[in-house]
Order: sequence, then structure tokens, then C-alpha cells
Amino acid sequence: MIEVANLKKYFGKVKAVDGVSFEAHDGKITGLLGPNGAGKSTTLRVLYTAFKPDSGIALIDGRNVEHEKLDVRASIGVLTHGAGIYERLSARENIRYFGELHGLTGKPLNRRIDELAELLDMQDFIERRSKGFSQGQKTKVALARALVHSPKNVLLDEPTNGLDVMATRGLREVIQRLKNAGHCVLFSSHVMQEVAALCDEIVIIAHGKVAASGSPDQLRSSTGEQNLEDAFVKAIGSEEGLV
Amino acid sequence: MNNQTISHLRGFWVVLRKEITDNLRDRRSLTTMAVSIVVGPLLMFGFLWFAEKTVKEETDLVNAEAVQLPVIGAEHAPNLMNWLRQNNVEILAAPSDAEESIKSGEHRVVLVVSEDFTKSFSDGSTAPLRLIHDSSISGLEKIGYSTVQNALNRYGSQIGAMRLAARGVNPQIARAIQVNVSDVASPQARNAQILTMMPYIIILFIMAGGMYLAIDTTAGEREKGSLEPLLTQPVARPVILLAKLGATIVFSALTFLMVLIGLALAMEYMPIEMISLSLDPATIAKVFISCLPFVFVGSALMVLLASFTKSYKEAQSYLGMVMLIPSLPLVMLAFLSPEPSASNMWIPSLSQGLIIIENFKGDSVPLSLVGLSMIASTAFAALLAFIAIKLYQRERILG
Repeated sequence: MIEVANLKKYFGKVKAVDGVSFEAHDGKITGLLGPNGAGKSTTLRVLYTAFKPDSGIALIDGRNVEHEKLDVRASIGVLTHGAGIYERLSARENIRYFGELHGLTGKPLNRRIDELAELLDMQDFIERRSKGFSQGQKTKVALARALVHSPKNVLLDEPTNGLDVMATRGLREVIQRLKNAGHCVLFSSHVMQEVAALCDEIVIIAHGKVAASGSPDQLRSSTGEQNLEDAFVKAIGSEEGLV
Repeated sequence: MNNQTISHLRGFWVVLRKEITDNLRDRRSLTTMAVSIVVGPLLMFGFLWFAEKTVKEETDLVNAEAVQLPVIGAEHAPNLMNWLRQNNVEILAAPSDAEESIKSGEHRVVLVVSEDFTKSFSDGSTAPLRLIHDSSISGLEKIGYSTVQNALNRYGSQIGAMRLAARGVNPQIARAIQVNVSDVASPQARNAQILTMMPYIIILFIMAGGMYLAIDTTAGEREKGSLEPLLTQPVARPVILLAKLGATIVFSALTFLMVLIGLALAMEYMPIEMISLSLDPATIAKVFISCLPFVFVGSALMVLLASFTKSYKEAQSYLGMVMLIPSLPLVMLAFLSPEPSASNMWIPSLSQGLIIIENFKGDSVPLSLVGLSMIASTAFAALLAFIAIKLYQRERILG
């Protein structure tokens, strides 16, 4: 469960996040949709404790991201934007490292990695050193790394970046499974189809503010547009930056 | 669902172990270590061996050859000429302009016997001789001058002694004092000049040993985008930074140990007569432990720098410069050769340099001064680490 209330984060004069409020519930997929530079990544970075908010409150499972960092970090799984992995470690070692940082060890950890390897279809390269991995393979490792401790809340920043069609389908399936298992999934994207296909709740962000939010149906009815794409455009006020 | 936080100590170990594994697979770090055990000593002793060989061969050559000595007025002192010939001096005909021939380098030394030499000599008064040479000449060329001068002095004192004896006076009377020189320097201490190079090489390798890791674990990780995921794990940032510092220290210290062992092996097996040093395991252990705090300083300095540079390249160019900083006090060491004292043993790198030199010489530094060096350097390293932790807390660490 993620609760964000009037969150603000400025970088000098740039109002990256300027009063964002929304909720993301357990067992639901919530999408942050918006053009490039709208403040999606910054919002996520505040949520996963990389940035301190200037004002406003963000709670994850009732814990304040500003003051209870370690507990918050323990309860989230994060796929950062352009996530890097360690090239001299194998895919398994990369995932194991983060598992160990979450207190997993030995056989249970290895079983969990095998499970993720099967889920994300990475058995072919799980034991290989990561140098030379394709972008899709890297993203899979980073995703498995984020999910290794079965986090209650999953935060994904542009997860389909650089993935091919098959990998994207695989990722969607993973996200659906997380939802069905009762996780709270929050992901950001500028790809409308992706958000439309997956999300139970959509938060449209533009210029650091929430332009509209709700279920796809609610968005359609509130904007008076039958087509979801037109609803997005109307909510944002322009077509700029959307795919 | 298993959402728990781990203890700081456990987090430290997990990060430390990962950094060490990761770095052991990095060819650059391993190369630096391999180089430290082979190239360091080779560089140093190879050079010495070559220098010694060259000097020795040429000195032998010069000593074997007769000194060429043009003499003006040789006819005034036939006995002296005979004495000189017996002392490996070849008497040559006089040049037209003696001083000019020295200046032009045609001759190194010219002897002038004045006309009244014979008269003064038979009168028993002091007979004048003039030796012309160029004092700015150094090195092997100088040997001719000193050979001639020594031969002349010995001739003078021999004649003097004979004159006294002829007058019934014990020649010892004229020698009011006799200075006997005893050199008590231990064989190791004579190598002091060579020793001043050692700290420089050792400290350079200590820095080089941890450099790649220091860059890779901070600036490198940021550049590859793996720092942000790492910092969202439930481990406090200071713990992560300290573990990275720890890994840097491990590699730096290993390189240090390798250099010491390399030097010890080189001293043992390299055929160099000029220096007679040896390092036994006990000395190696002593130097290693006493200088370990410098490993802390070097590593902390590099991690600190790497944590506010933006990229691998930037860190690399900064660290190149930083590696020079610890070598500056060592330059002072080479020029001033100070003794270890409370006024200099608190300075990082200088104090370790002194510890290295004294121990290699076979002497030892008082325990209190070693303690001062260790405490001061460790404190300095802690300060640097503290600043690095502060920098790590900033949001800008993520770039």
C-alpha cells in the first residue's frame, strides 16, 4: 500500500514534483503515466528513498519514506531507470547479492533465484557472467534482483525500456502474477498502450502535477472521451511526449 | 513475504565480499598486484645493478691505466719524476699553454715545477710545485687529479721524514696527531641513499593497488547505473561506503605485502654488491603492521575522491594527481633525511617512509613514535572516511 499526499520535490527552480497525491493499493496495478520529464521518475525516486521530499508525505505500508528509510527499503522491490548490473558477476550472483542484502541465504535463496529464472525465462543465461548481456537480459536480471525478496510493494521505473516484444509480454505476465499474489505494483511509463493493457488504476502526471487519476473507465467518463487515448490527451492538455 | 532488514555488520560483510569477488575478477587490479611483486623490485634493483656494474667496470679501467701528466720543468726534479712513474703516472711533455690545455679539456691535470725547485729542495726549505686542474670536473675524470695529488703528498712527507731522521730527530715529532678513522655504520646503513627511494616505490604501489577498486566501487558503479539500486537496499549508506572502503583497504594492503615480499626476494637473490640489505619475515611483518595505517589513509583518500567525481574517467584523472600527494613528503625525506622524532612522525606518508627506511637499515624506530604514526594516520584516515560518508549521504551521489 502506497500513499502519497501533496508531495513536492524541487531542483533549484525546476519543480520536478509539485504537489502529487495518489494511492496505490495492494492487489492492484497502478500506473504513473505521463510525458518525458513530467516527474514520474522523481516521484518514484522519492518513494524508494533515493531523494528526500521537500514537502508532503509519502507512506509505504504506513511507513514514512523520509524517516523510516531502512524499513521502507526492506518492504519494496525497485527497478530503477536504466538499472545497471555487475558485469563481472553472473546473473545468479547479481541476484544473490541483493537477496543477501535482504537477509536471504543459502538454499532458500537459491531456490528463489531458480523460481525467478523460470518465471522470467532466464535459465539460458542465469549462470553466465553478465558482460555482453543484451538490454533485455540485463533488465530481466535487474527485475529478478528487485523481486528476489518477494517485496510487498513493487516499484518499476519504465520497466519495458529496451525490451523486445516477447520480453515485454513476459514482464506483463510477471506483473499480473504479482498482482494476483496480492502485491502492490506501481510502475511508470510513457507508453500508453502498456498502461492501458495492465493497469487497474492510472495516475496521469504532467508538469509535476496529477492531471487526472482513476480506473480506465473513470478516466473515460470524467473526460467525456470514449477512446482512452483521447482521454489521456485531454487530461494532459497536449500530445507532447506521449507514444 | 520476507521483508526484513539485516544487521549493519551482516550488510557490511555482504557488500565487502561482493566487492572483493568482483574485483578479483578484474584483470586490472590483479595486474597491478602482479606488477607490484615483480616490476617494482626489478625496476629498482635492475637499475642499481646496471649502475653498479657500469661504475665498477669504468673505475677498474681508469685505475689500471697510467695517469697522463704533462709536466713543465720536469728536468728540475728528476727524483720526483721517478717517484711519480713508480706510482703509475706517465710523464708527458709540457703543453705550450698549460692553463689553456686544462680549460679546453685536452689535459685533466698539469704539474709545474719551477726553476728554483732544485735550489729550495737542496736548501731544505719548502720547494714549490704547482698543480693545475679544473675543480668543476667530477666523476671518473677526477681520479687522475687525486692520484697525482696523493703521490705528491706522500713524496713530500717521505722526504720530510728522511730529513728529520738525518738530523737525529724522530719523524714522529712532526706528526702531532694521527687520525685513525673507524666507520661504525652497519652495512645496511651505508645504503641510506638507495633506501630513500624505497618508501616512494612502496607508497606508490599501495595507492595503485586500491585505485581501481576505489574508482569502480563508487564512480564506476554510479556510471554503470548500479549504485541507485544498491542504495535502495535496506542497508544504511555509511555501511555500504565503509564496506567499499574495506574492500579497497584489503586490496591495497595485499599489494603492499606483495611489494615487501618482492623486495625481500630481490634483495636476497639479486647480485648487487653496492647494497647489502636483507629483509627477514619478522621485519616484513613489522613494517607491514606499522605502515598499515597508511593503507587506510590512501584508501580513504581515493574513495573520498571517487565519491564526488561523476564518471570513471574523471575519477581516474583525479586519482592520478592524488597519487602524487603522498609522495611529496617523501621528496622531503630524500633531501633532508630527517631522523624520526615527535615533530615529524605524525605526518602520514612521511612517518611511514621513515619507518620503512629505519627498518630496512636494520635499525628500529622507538615504539612510541611508531604508535604516534599509527594513531595519527588512522585518525586522518577516519576523518577522510567521515567526509566520504557525508558526501555519500547527499542526493547528488546518484548524479
